[in-house]
Amino acid sequence: MFETRTLRSRLLLQLVVTLAVVPFVIPLYAMVSRSFTGAGWGNYTAVLAVPGFARFFLNSAIVAGASVVIIYLATLMAAFGFSKLRVKRKEVLFWMMMAALTLPEVVLIAPLYATAVRLGLLGTFWSVILPIAALQIPFTVLIARGYVDGIPDTLFEAARLDGANTWRMFWNILVPLARPIAVALIILVLINAWNAYLLPKVFLIDQDMGVVTMLPEFFRRQYNDDTPKILAAAVVTALPTVIAYVSLQKHFERGMAAGAIK
Amino acid sequence: MVTTTVPVTVGPARPRRGGAPGGHRGRGAHLVPGGLRWILPGFVLSVGLIYYSIGYSGYLSFFDWGGGRRAMTPVGADNYVEAFSDPVFWTAIRNTAVFFVAVFAVQVVGGVLFAAAMHSKIYLANLYKVIIVIPVVVAPATLAPAHIQVWQTDGTLNRILDAVGLDVLVQGWLGQSTTSLLVITVVGCWGSVGFGFILFYAGMAQIDPEILEAARIDGGGNLRILYSIVLPSLRPTTFSLAILNFITALKLFDTVWLITQGGPAHSSEFLGTMIYSEVAASSRNLGYASALSMILLVVAVVTSVLIQRRSRERTPVEATVARV
Repeated sequence: MFETRTLRSRLLLQLVVTLAVVPFVIPLYAMVSRSFTGAGWGNYTAVLAVPGFARFFLNSAIVAGASVVIIYLATLMAAFGFSKLRVKRKEVLFWMMMAALTLPEVVLIAPLYATAVRLGLLGTFWSVILPIAALQIPFTVLIARGYVDGIPDTLFEAARLDGANTWRMFWNILVPLARPIAVALIILVLINAWNAYLLPKVFLIDQDMGVVTMLPEFFRRQYNDDTPKILAAAVVTALPTVIAYVSLQKHFERGMAAGAIK
Repeated sequence: MVTTTVPVTVGPARPRRGGAPGGHRGRGAHLVPGGLRWILPGFVLSVGLIYYSIGYSGYLSFFDWGGGRRAMTPVGADNYVEAFSDPVFWTAIRNTAVFFVAVFAVQVVGGVLFAAAMHSKIYLANLYKVIIVIPVVVAPATLAPAHIQVWQTDGTLNRILDAVGLDVLVQGWLGQSTTSLLVITVVGCWGSVGFGFILFYAGMAQIDPEILEAARIDGGGNLRILYSIVLPSLRPTTFSLAILNFITALKLFDTVWLITQGGPAHSSEFLGTMIYSEVAASSRNLGYASALSMILLVVAVVTSVLIQRRSRERTPVEATVARV
């Protein structure tokens, strides 16, 4: 974008960008370097040896995995219906869904808490998975429908003439053709579900149902104020996400760019 | 080959209507199979759960209720009166405004500059990109201990200030009601520049290189091109970011709760932390929490609509580009 013809301007640009990155490094550097003070790697082995540590990751995987499956199926089906099938008052239904597009989850916690208590769902994974799915579906449907609209109707008509029923059209045409958008949306949903903090904090009240975002508090209780160990735990918790991002950069960025519209 | 890099397509929350394949009015409409049951699962889950919650929240907001088996006392509009006469509520509103304006400004300026720089030839571009995007993809809750380490009294920031001779500025950032909001806001900026960067980077990739080339031949300098061609084409993205940021500020919870708990003395309180405290504390009042939620909802909706309307008032992007 910036054209740098001379060596001087090239160096200047490089210097400015490098300086601008420094503030972003500071917290990351502080976290990693302080996590080694005292016992060094011992902090890490101590953290990894804490019983129940792996449980947090497993719980997060359950929440994120179930959210992804539910959202993926519900979204593709709805996008198919809205885009390619005959539905009465289609646009009214669509707008009812889109009205909830930017709804912040915090608005739901009071009524959902009351409801979960009444239904005995408090402290079950459903009490987190269902709201996560409900809040993301309007957005994923909006994006997926826009994409499916771009798939030519003739493909589906040809399939119907060949005798394919609606199920076949869905599985054999729509699902494969919608793969690029599905990957982007799945990654976006994964990030959001894996990073969710408020909903699990309110609804997963059992000790052994904590998710990864609750690890900092868990370790603060565990170690009182042993900062290096708390930071070591934070590094261990952040690592999977960082590795996933670095190895799947393109997909992450596409998923998040899709999020712009939200 | 995902072309969802939405910036150029639509404004938030307004999908295009009809479209080519959208309405099957035309030929052979009666042959198209019915699709209601395909829509239903997602529709029931999202619309059902969300509308139910909002309705129930509106109902609860007229009661005092500790939840569970405790008695529900109807109190009329008292919860709303209480909110509007609570100084903490107004602190939260002020904090939301400050946070929104600061984070939005930093995100747009930082995001545009980083995106422009990384579309230029620089070394280590990918490393820089990873560094500024990590705060976006890693959970704010996970990174909170790192921020505490930076801002606490014997933390990294104070040590840096000491080292560069600015020891007059050394202070207990987290423990003072005068600086707690500053900390939260800076942490917010830190975590959101990368998001702005990704969107603006994608937006810039869609600008026709020929237009840039033409502008250069006409003698346009870097800044002139940035200002006259690049920025106008990023307007839709910027408005999307404005709405997103506003909602983020309204519901802000994770970072605040883990770094300052809204304190000291409620100085860094946000609506998100207020609602959470009312739901989760042992002295919970679900009625008051619901009233706060309804206020939050109304503010969010009204502001989103206002921002959206404004985004459509101005000259369309194409016209602006063509005039250059």
